[in-house]
Amino acid sequence: MTTLSLTRRALLNSVPGGISAAALALLLRAEGAPFTDLKPRKPHHPAKAKAVIHLFQNGGPSQMDLFDPKPELDKHHGKSYADKLAGEIEFVQHAGAIMRSPFKFAKHGKCGADVSDALPHFAKVVDEVTFLRGMHTTNITHEPAVYMIQSGKITPGRPTIGAWVTYGLGSENQNLPAYVVLDDPKGLPVNGVENWQAGFLPAQFQGTRFRSTGAPVLNLEPDTKRPASIVKAESAVLSKLDALHKRERPDQPILDARIASYELAARMQLAATDALDFTKEPKALQDAYGIGKEPTDSYGRRCLIARRLVERGVRFVQLFINLHIWDTHNNIAADLKTACDRTDKPTAALIRDLKDRGLLDSTLVVWGGEFGRLPIAQLPPDKDERKAGRDHNKNAFCSWMAGGGTKPGLTYGATDDLGLNAVDGRVSVRDFHATILHLLGLNHDNLFIEQHGLKEKLTGVEEAKVVKGILA
Amino acid sequence: MRHLLSLLALLVAHVARAADAPTYAKDVAPLLQAKCAKCHNDGKTRKYADLDLTTPAGILKGGESGPVIVPGKPEKSSLYEKVHKGEMPPAKKDALAAAEVETLRKWIADGAKLPAVEVALTQHDIIPIMLRHCTACHGRHKQEANLDLRTPQAMLRGGRSGPAVVPGKPAESLVVKRVSAGDMPPPKKLVEACVKPVEASELATLTKWIAAGAPVVDVRPDVATTTPDPLVTDKDRDFWAFKPPVRPAVPPSRDPKGSAHPIDAFIVAKLEAKGLALSSEADRPALMRRAYFDLTGLPPTPEEAKAFLADKSPDAYEKLLDKLLASPRYGERWGRYWLDLAGYADSEGKREQDLARPHAWRYRDYVIRSFNDDKPYDRFLKEQLAGDELADYLSAREITPQVYDNLVATGFLRLTPDATWANITGFIPDRVEVIADEIDVLGSAVLGLTMKCARCHTHKFDPIPHRDYYRLVAVFKGALDEYDWLKPMIKPGIGPESIDVAPPRLLPFVTATERRAWEVANLKLPAARREVEPQIQAVWDRGEPSPTYIYRRGDYLMPGALVGPGVPSVLTDGKTPFEVKPPWPGAKQTGRRLAFANWLTQPDHPLTARVMVNRVWKHHFGTGIVPTLANFGKAGVPPTHPELLDWLAVELARPTPPAPLPEGRGEKRAWSLKRLHKLIMTSATYKQSSAISADAKRLDPANALYSRAPLVRLDAEALYDSLAFVAGKLDDKVGGPAVPIQVRKDGLVTPTSTAKGWRRLVYVSQTRKQPATHAETFDFPQMNPNCIERRDSTVAPQALHLMNNGLVDQLASEFARRVQRAGGDDRAKQIDAAYWIALSRPPTAEEKELGRAALRDLTAAWEKQQPTSTRDTIELKALTNYCHALMNSAAFLYVD
Repeated sequence: MTTLSLTRRALLNSVPGGISAAALALLLRAEGAPFTDLKPRKPHHPAKAKAVIHLFQNGGPSQMDLFDPKPELDKHHGKSYADKLAGEIEFVQHAGAIMRSPFKFAKHGKCGADVSDALPHFAKVVDEVTFLRGMHTTNITHEPAVYMIQSGKITPGRPTIGAWVTYGLGSENQNLPAYVVLDDPKGLPVNGVENWQAGFLPAQFQGTRFRSTGAPVLNLEPDTKRPASIVKAESAVLSKLDALHKRERPDQPILDARIASYELAARMQLAATDALDFTKEPKALQDAYGIGKEPTDSYGRRCLIARRLVERGVRFVQLFINLHIWDTHNNIAADLKTACDRTDKPTAALIRDLKDRGLLDSTLVVWGGEFGRLPIAQLPPDKDERKAGRDHNKNAFCSWMAGGGTKPGLTYGATDDLGLNAVDGRVSVRDFHATILHLLGLNHDNLFIEQHGLKEKLTGVEEAKVVKGILA
Repeated sequence: MRHLLSLLALLVAHVARAADAPTYAKDVAPLLQAKCAKCHNDGKTRKYADLDLTTPAGILKGGESGPVIVPGKPEKSSLYEKVHKGEMPPAKKDALAAAEVETLRKWIADGAKLPAVEVALTQHDIIPIMLRHCTACHGRHKQEANLDLRTPQAMLRGGRSGPAVVPGKPAESLVVKRVSAGDMPPPKKLVEACVKPVEASELATLTKWIAAGAPVVDVRPDVATTTPDPLVTDKDRDFWAFKPPVRPAVPPSRDPKGSAHPIDAFIVAKLEAKGLALSSEADRPALMRRAYFDLTGLPPTPEEAKAFLADKSPDAYEKLLDKLLASPRYGERWGRYWLDLAGYADSEGKREQDLARPHAWRYRDYVIRSFNDDKPYDRFLKEQLAGDELADYLSAREITPQVYDNLVATGFLRLTPDATWANITGFIPDRVEVIADEIDVLGSAVLGLTMKCARCHTHKFDPIPHRDYYRLVAVFKGALDEYDWLKPMIKPGIGPESIDVAPPRLLPFVTATERRAWEVANLKLPAARREVEPQIQAVWDRGEPSPTYIYRRGDYLMPGALVGPGVPSVLTDGKTPFEVKPPWPGAKQTGRRLAFANWLTQPDHPLTARVMVNRVWKHHFGTGIVPTLANFGKAGVPPTHPELLDWLAVELARPTPPAPLPEGRGEKRAWSLKRLHKLIMTSATYKQSSAISADAKRLDPANALYSRAPLVRLDAEALYDSLAFVAGKLDDKVGGPAVPIQVRKDGLVTPTSTAKGWRRLVYVSQTRKQPATHAETFDFPQMNPNCIERRDSTVAPQALHLMNNGLVDQLASEFARRVQRAGGDDRAKQIDAAYWIALSRPPTAEEKELGRAALRDLTAAWEKQQPTSTRDTIELKALTNYCHALMNSAAFLYVD
């Protein structure tokens, strides 16, 4: 027997009956107690989407260089504009003039969606996609903006959307975590492990990291290698010790839960190993994802694994990329292209693969970052315009969704002439969250947990609106 | 018919659209009169929330939090919002029809025009604008161009270029000129000063005020007076938790053999009512182990265990408790619980850099030291809330250990996640968040009230007006002032340089001894080679707090009424002013926090003692008498044993006349937590076995009546410390800077070892972004901002961690060597030693047999694997596996 080792608190399904003594006590004392297990739960209303693949693009992908063409930028290229943005730019001394996009735009697909030539593969699947051009948020700093898009508030400590979704719906597979995080072996995104925390929800709903290269989960092998026969002999000893201990202590559910947690650890190992082993997938499919080739190998693996996880009933898969590759402060022409090159082909393959397998209808794919970018240039210290990038913009950014009950081939909302502000079809982060929940059959006002007398929700106390216009 | 109806509907809609915007006189006034006047000024006595909705002036003035309408912005107007959400009117039958709600919305959207009530602007419409945009450079710390814009008087006085304000002449007023020209605040310096540009509406307000002659009215801050509080009634105060605890009579014991212990009398009375009795006493090894873990977080050594079990004297158990309470391990265990409440961390959090707090450990050590010294709880609170106002440290000839402790203690008020060290995350709303977190910590940890709910509006369940939250904010304003902010540290190199000249929130006042030692060791060295200068992470009152306005909806851009310092009215009689005076004659400190701390620690405070005894009880019994530890309000769970709670609370704060204790140890000290532990732990209730009887299972399944002791899993610290302790590798060094962690490439975070082994987890660096994997796996919380109650989950990663983690392996082999040293080659002796070391008792016959079989099987398995290894090697390997299994076993992890 090989043994699986996961060090993060999160690798967890709840064990049958496996809840804490305190939680149990509360359960028996109070009505309307919170969920503490991962059993599948009925949604609030019928829904097409059963699972989510969240392709989180940390850093702030540039809307006017990818999906939201702005001819006015060409017209006003070189004009000074920075003074109008005082207080909205961290590095005022680096602010340059209005800057046109170094990328060329064209209409794609039957729907005629605008995509720049930075994303040639993705441009071919736009007929499955709904673009949200009117996204806006509240903060121009990565950390608070990432907390916001993940958890609905600009401060740490709240459950992320993946935690809320699994809290509300449980999981279809009891041998795998309900909420799996596929982080980039190159490094964690901004806010690190806080991106998949359960906050004040029970620990069961926290995301679990699966690694896409090498051992699927942290420390698949024990730190100190032991032969399988020894591992087996030692677990036999432990089982006997625990059986004896439990015999003397009947009616202590917590001890049953503990024993179950050891059994589950073993089962989970097999299921996790199987889910992450894509070597039996056809070669052509692996090629389509860009696996085995740079620069797409790593992201391609994660995309393919994401599909395999969703296929196995995992509720929420969140795919990350290392520290803000989309954060193109400098040299946007080259750096944005690099980010696109790493992700473009795998993303398109994922959508096509889901579609081919009939999984796209029941899987909501969400793509986006924490904010957008400014229409003006950010100059390097030597003021060389050829190496210019763009600074952060909270007032407009573009995300997209595909499948899961969204309207395919739709461009929703608009920004002003410069791409500075969302002006039409405006979608706040709260609206964005409410819409994702709605597509999964959850009403954001009814998905809550009582916390010190307050009904805590993902969308908080201010009004959130489902973006009805993008529903199929 | 249906067609006709739709036609009619269409027609009505058309007419409604065509109609002009609603007017106050025709549409709004009758509506408000009909639906709202019953409570918001019935002309007699009723004027709830201090709000009069029957006159234009009343509507403009607004209620307790300020205006209820924001012309043009229905969504920001509470008058519309409350009605729209159906929160008002409270009775469903009075609810407004959709069309009526729409009328209100339209009227507000159209500018909420009211008949000729000229809104007279006052200085309080202007001061907040100055605070938001100007005083960073023209205020307390800096007066660029010799200009101070904090008060109307100073504005008139002006600076180098003349008066900032010329009453009646906005065009000649420099402040208007410079702002409208876009020169001020300087656009390029906004981020460096953490200031936003002035909005057009703000400039308009400023202009209008000056045009009107810059009127200054005498508005006194809203504070408690001798007049009964209009917002909180005596009926509101008539709730158990808001009334001072009164010592209840101890129920007579009906069982002739029953214990005379008062705790038991209360518990047994409830059990008997259900037809239950206390369970029998736990066996001595179980009770001993429970006491060790409860008080020190560690098991006994085999020698200690054997000595206790051999002590047949009647007071053996009490002597054990005294010994454990006197152990320095006690403070490490119980100090940790307090650190959870306070939200302790060794880093600032929030930003990616997760900046270290290199001086935070002094607060951690202060807490541990305070528990070990049995510092009275009232004093402990006073130091943490107002240590800087307890002694004049600035004029002190020498910083004594007491003064040092006072200042370190104030670190309590700066533990929350804080990114205000960086300009871009140091704007006023960022600072307001930090203050809100501190109030949340105070409310949840000390008051047992959900104070934070009143930040944006009056509390929905408890009688805590919006006003009271901001009175509390005003208490802390001398130290935590969003308009005169001290950054946690000045860290150049990230973002643009700050133009802030205020010092960081660090004080150099370590004890004279430490300071001299540092100077001797470092002053001769070149600066680069010096050790970090000892400093204290603290807050202190600076004597000139900016005014406190109620923030409507919690938004700093919507300041409402001016308030002064005060405490939640519901916890007072409602007609006693909150008296603030400088802490000593001539002090520049306001004394606000000291006044608050003195109020909080009155022996008959309704909550302070109750909340604390409930917490101590929780850590001994698994649940609190009030299960919702941080919520004693109406939405909390009421106490299961209210009389017992009150009896304990009174006993803590106002012990019965100082009588000698049974063991003749002098007087009962008020607020002594060690005395409280002993009181609890000598009860039969505490000493019960954790076995569940058939009756208890049926009649008290959740143990709400305390019919048995709880079976408890070791928490993250007790488990980690015990693993090292059992391995003989616990380094028992006390205090000092945090033990660094190592981060492996794959994400595993492990504490580093010392020459003597591993230090207790409480001393290990606790950064927000990289918690030790062991701690995180076993439910160590994220401090956001603090942790009221840890979740004790039972999940697969815990199993995997204990089975596969390298450090656990390493400790298991140390444990095996220790067993071998104690038991030699004799397997029976080894098993015996292993049980004494790990489980503080001898093995039973069955366990001995199981152990022998285990060692036999493991040896055989290893022989098969490594036929060429020596017998000694094989046997040590087998023993290591056995010890590893014991470290994984439920018997090790769970305390009976």
